[in-house]
Amino acid sequence: MSSPDPQVDARDLFFQDDPDLIEVGIGELVIAESPKRLMTPALGSCVALVLYDPFARRGGLGHIMLPGPHNGIEDDSPGRFADYAVIELVRMLGERGSFRRRIQARIAGGAAMFRGESSVSTIGARNVAAVKRQLALMSIPVMAEDTGEAHARTLEITLETGETIVRSYRFGMRKL
Amino acid sequence: MRFNELTELQLDALRELGGIGSGHAATALSQLVNRPIRLEVPRIEVLKLSEVPRAFGGPEALVGAVYARMLGDISGGILFMARRDAVLALVDLMRGHEVGRTKSMGHEEEALLKHVSTILVAAYLAAVARMADLDALPSGPVLAFDMAGALLEAVVLEVGVEAAEAMLLWTSFVDEDKCVEAGLFFVPNPDSLAVILGRLGVL
Repeated sequence: MSSPDPQVDARDLFFQDDPDLIEVGIGELVIAESPKRLMTPALGSCVALVLYDPFARRGGLGHIMLPGPHNGIEDDSPGRFADYAVIELVRMLGERGSFRRRIQARIAGGAAMFRGESSVSTIGARNVAAVKRQLALMSIPVMAEDTGEAHARTLEITLETGETIVRSYRFGMRKL
Repeated sequence: MRFNELTELQLDALRELGGIGSGHAATALSQLVNRPIRLEVPRIEVLKLSEVPRAFGGPEALVGAVYARMLGDISGGILFMARRDAVLALVDLMRGHEVGRTKSMGHEEEALLKHVSTILVAAYLAAVARMADLDALPSGPVLAFDMAGALLEAVVLEVGVEAAEAMLLWTSFVDEDKCVEAGLFFVPNPDSLAVILGRLGVL
């Protein structure tokens, strides 16, 4: 066995070696089941929405960027906007057999990354409010959240247990 | 204005604009730190939004960033960004110390970083404004230390991008000892991009 190349970042190795870890990018909605893990890195003003069905050990993760579009939706990717993404993620879970009443939500993100700039700081808060409003409309309970403030977050959920971890430079690892 | 509909001619014009802006910024920086600063060819990338967080050192890379809004005839943002060790090296150079002496960021170090960034951003914008014949002023800068991906994402959303792709016009700087590597991102609002292209005569 060859020794590991010191030039390679440990994180890269970690990703390559872990077929169970699925990364979700901005505007994407992904559904997976145990033993997979879902993660989305570097949330700023965006909000990560986790919908988890503990009975089926199935979950969905979205990385939502804005409350809604200004000029209507231009293409077929609803995952960017809270007004469409929440409903769509619930629908995708329903298609796989997760009833709405079994679904629990967890949310993270919605920070104001640049403090002191008033116009920057509202997007995150509006994202969180929009996601919560959509969840309330569908009677999906928010079990936990780590939102607002002024730091970036990375979220990861282990679908086998539903354990959700939020990482940040400010607070390290936090269980959600 | 959709970024993925830009023609090759328009992209070239923007690259030229970025080259002139960052050329002025690099000159200002090398005068400030009193050593030569090399400039890389400006990059213009039309990226899927999900790719934006990877543009600078990986989504979770710890960086220092200074953001200024553009005011005047065009709106949008300018972001100066460098990895934490490069920020510390920049502070050392500003103080006339050997690189490696500053180990952490306090109020004084943050003020220095803001100061440098303000000058870089002003130099960049002045050159862009002259070339495109429009008024563009930077707002007061705001500072953050955090994940590169989250900061880029926040800036792209802040300038009003809501399409599935974003345009990043950016240049990296590096000094002769390669201890200060930094990026300067020029992110116009999609409507302002049309104004800029019109002024450059390629709309």
